[in-house]
Amino acid sequence: MSATVTADHILQTRGVSHDLGAFVVAAAFARGGATAAFALGDGTLHIAPRAGGRWRVVAVHDGAVLALAPDVGPGGYLSGGDDGKLRRTGETAEDIAGFGMKWVEHVASFADARTGLLACTVGRQVHLFDGAGKKLKVLDHPSSVTGVVFDAKGKRVGASHYNGASLWFVAAKTDSARKLEWKGSHTGIAISPNGDNVVTAMQENALHGWRLTDGQHMRMTGYPGKTQALGFTRSGKWLATSGAEAIVLWPFSGGGPMGRAPSELAGGDEGVICTMVACHPQHEAVAAGFSDGLVVLADIGSARILPVCGPGRGPVSALAWSADGAQLAFGTESGFAALVDFSKQ
Amino acid sequence: MADAVLEQVPVTVLTGYLGAGKTTLLNRILSENHGRKYAVVINEFGELGVDNDLVVDSDEEVFEMNNGCICCTVRGDLIRIIGGLMKRRGRFDGIIIETTGLANPAPVAQTFFVDDTVRAKTRLDAVVAVVDAKFLLPRLEDSHEAAEQIAFADVIVLNKTDLVTPDELATVEAAIRKINRFAKIHRAQRANVPIAELLDQGAFDLKRVLAEHPDFLEDDEHEHNDDVGSVSFEVETPIDPERFNAWIGGLLAERGGDLLRTKGILAYAGEDRRFAFQAVHMMADGDFIGPWKNGEAHTSRIVFIGRNLNRPQLRRGFESCRAG
Repeated sequence: MSATVTADHILQTRGVSHDLGAFVVAAAFARGGATAAFALGDGTLHIAPRAGGRWRVVAVHDGAVLALAPDVGPGGYLSGGDDGKLRRTGETAEDIAGFGMKWVEHVASFADARTGLLACTVGRQVHLFDGAGKKLKVLDHPSSVTGVVFDAKGKRVGASHYNGASLWFVAAKTDSARKLEWKGSHTGIAISPNGDNVVTAMQENALHGWRLTDGQHMRMTGYPGKTQALGFTRSGKWLATSGAEAIVLWPFSGGGPMGRAPSELAGGDEGVICTMVACHPQHEAVAAGFSDGLVVLADIGSARILPVCGPGRGPVSALAWSADGAQLAFGTESGFAALVDFSKQ
Repeated sequence: MADAVLEQVPVTVLTGYLGAGKTTLLNRILSENHGRKYAVVINEFGELGVDNDLVVDSDEEVFEMNNGCICCTVRGDLIRIIGGLMKRRGRFDGIIIETTGLANPAPVAQTFFVDDTVRAKTRLDAVVAVVDAKFLLPRLEDSHEAAEQIAFADVIVLNKTDLVTPDELATVEAAIRKINRFAKIHRAQRANVPIAELLDQGAFDLKRVLAEHPDFLEDDEHEHNDDVGSVSFEVETPIDPERFNAWIGGLLAERGGDLLRTKGILAYAGEDRRFAFQAVHMMADGDFIGPWKNGEAHTSRIVFIGRNLNRPQLRRGFESCRAG
């Protein structure tokens, strides 16, 4: 059909894609920007040079890769697996830490002029390392940690869990969390770029937020499904979220989202749920993936939608921008993975 | 799309008191040569002597859903683990979840009603309870959980029968039947039940609700007390769907805490397909499951397993749903 051809136009003219044969759990770009990586449910990383050429396959975990982040250095990746390992993959793959039978479910990293920071979650704990992989501290939580994130300055690390979230100062001599409380199961976390707002996704198809300056609660509801992906735009004016039949954007400029309706972009197909979002690192734009395999790029100001990849290749399960905003990597539950170049040609 | 053809992965929940033989049974399932591969979610890794890369160690984390329903508790750890296991789909044929000895099976079962992802990718196959023939009676005396595990079970492995006399065994079986007349009981020693009798039971499949309950009409003697028990009713007159929905909805909302499991097959007036219905506490699920067999009487049947079952009241309620 001609509509399908149109929807795939960007993929066909500006994309490189492969069928990798296993669930694409996550995608990320190395900080140096030379490669993108796809983490798979079969334990491998597929590393794609942005300049083109063969994708390198590295067997990283014995089981599934559960989480992926860029390493603090320019060329590598950080991954967690259901083999209980936190690993670093550059030219070679090496262990940073092992946790026996427990899964390493989430990883995060922060790069700065010093060694940077690494974090991973294992059960109820967040383990913090310096960029060299030296253990700094272990942060305990009342229940299993479901998401971990550094703030934009790398000063604090936030973790979501049951009945709320915890915020910790990375450099504190004695560790005590600022407890952000709200009853229920919180399943993911984001911190706004200015560090003033923490938002979690919840089991009950809703989001919950805390404004840190005055403790104001923010409830964002109305989703037909669970929000798996959430992130602030570069300016912090919008929170982009998955879990509805459109990209749902909550306004965080002005007084915040309380009492205001969210913007909805790229909606229309009934029963097709937005499964992934990734905010552009430079502009007020967001890439989104849907349960039918559709991937789009949405410009928030003009509400213009650019189709990137048409439906039919499995629910979108991974989505990531390069730091310069020129390339988008995405993958699906059925193993399709692509790298698309938006730079001037 | 490749994803759509993948079948839902069956999940078996294994309950039972510490020492009843759960670990022995798990070891058998994992080590026997049946050509199938199972992912196993356990709580204490040390006990299991089998080397299997699909064994997941988990802390049971039960939480209450914020949906205004006080008995709607689910296992958050299972939602996460099933999500993780689904990423490596195709590498196993089923999932077995072991619960701790004192666990109430309801949150595990309710997880399969509540979470969309879990519902989409897996199906609850059956709850299997392992009970110790020698120690069941004292356990029933001193705990709620022992009775709840039996009440919830679709399959009961009555283990260690070699440690009791035939009379004692008969007494224990009668005690189990008093709680749950509808589960299949397998007598066993060292948990030696054929694996085909435990896995792929389809006990939560609406198509098989009440498919195997030969003693349906057996009259039960005890009623209306704090013990867990089971009652069943039949009516020959077709059921009015609106009346039934109003009655069962109100009943589950009001009494769902006491009603552990409810199952029914209904003949709706003017409808030639059977309607199947099941609930775990307040979480309910129902659908049409195809036509009645040729010559089969269009009898509507309902079963309740729970506490404080007021037999006359439940019967009147069910009979009030008759059409016309």
